[in-house]
Amino acid sequence: MDADIEEIREKYLNLNFDEKQFTIDPETTIQYAKLCGETADRFLDADHEEFQAPPAFIACLSGSRMLPKGFPRFGIGMDAGKGVECLQPVRPGSTVTGKTHLHDIYTKTGRSGRMIFVVTRIEFYDSAGNHLVNSDSRMVMRERN
Amino acid sequence: MAIKKLDEVEFGVDLPTFIPDTSLATTTQFAKLIGWNAPRFTDHEAAKKEGLAGAMAPGVLSQGYLVAMIHNWAPVAEVQSVDTVFRAPVIADEAHTITGVVTDIDEDNAKVEIDLTVANEKGETRVFGTATVKLPR
Repeated sequence: MDADIEEIREKYLNLNFDEKQFTIDPETTIQYAKLCGETADRFLDADHEEFQAPPAFIACLSGSRMLPKGFPRFGIGMDAGKGVECLQPVRPGSTVTGKTHLHDIYTKTGRSGRMIFVVTRIEFYDSAGNHLVNSDSRMVMRERN
Repeated sequence: MAIKKLDEVEFGVDLPTFIPDTSLATTTQFAKLIGWNAPRFTDHEAAKKEGLAGAMAPGVLSQGYLVAMIHNWAPVAEVQSVDTVFRAPVIADEAHTITGVVTDIDEDNAKVEIDLTVANEKGETRVFGTATVKLPR
């Protein structure tokens, strides 16, 4: 691994830099489900005994910051992908807390130069402190030459 | 036929093809629902001024399509993880299809791994991903 990336990893990885609360609105999760083409009742029917937000809904929620203060800007960031890891269902009508940290930083080098990938993870918890879901956003920055 | 149990799943089987609603009306409604009001999601001409081929579906909508496809195939499936790579924009008002294939079955833990691909009419992959789902035994 490049020395500068190793240094940045040591300085920034796994340190929470943002915390934000979100109210999960049932009408919004139902509308989300319909627009995605969901057909399972537990995502569409608020009266269903297992009513819950669709698993990837949480990826729509953003913290107040994508990167920690002082993080170096290698170039313009582009959205390279999203990942969601579901531990427990997210219940519409509840309030969840998202805690954000950098989960990974790595590079790929191609013909046009080095690209830096930064994975920002938001861990979501319910009001009792139960860990519900992780939402990863993968940003790629093409290094300025 | 909807999948209800793990033993109904075969390694290498294709999931039924899913046709997502990528109309501009839907992508616009979705973008506004989640507070992403940028014109690149809602207006073809504005998107073209940004260098896109047209208005694009938000990446998180494509991710939502992948999960919906799994639930269309197996309504009882619990999606445990889904990782999505946005390779190229999904342009609104262009037809897309989503395909999926079962790439692993973990009998011990009742989990199935599925590779998923969103492609346009030219067959170009726009988004791909991998999901892990749990099924009843």
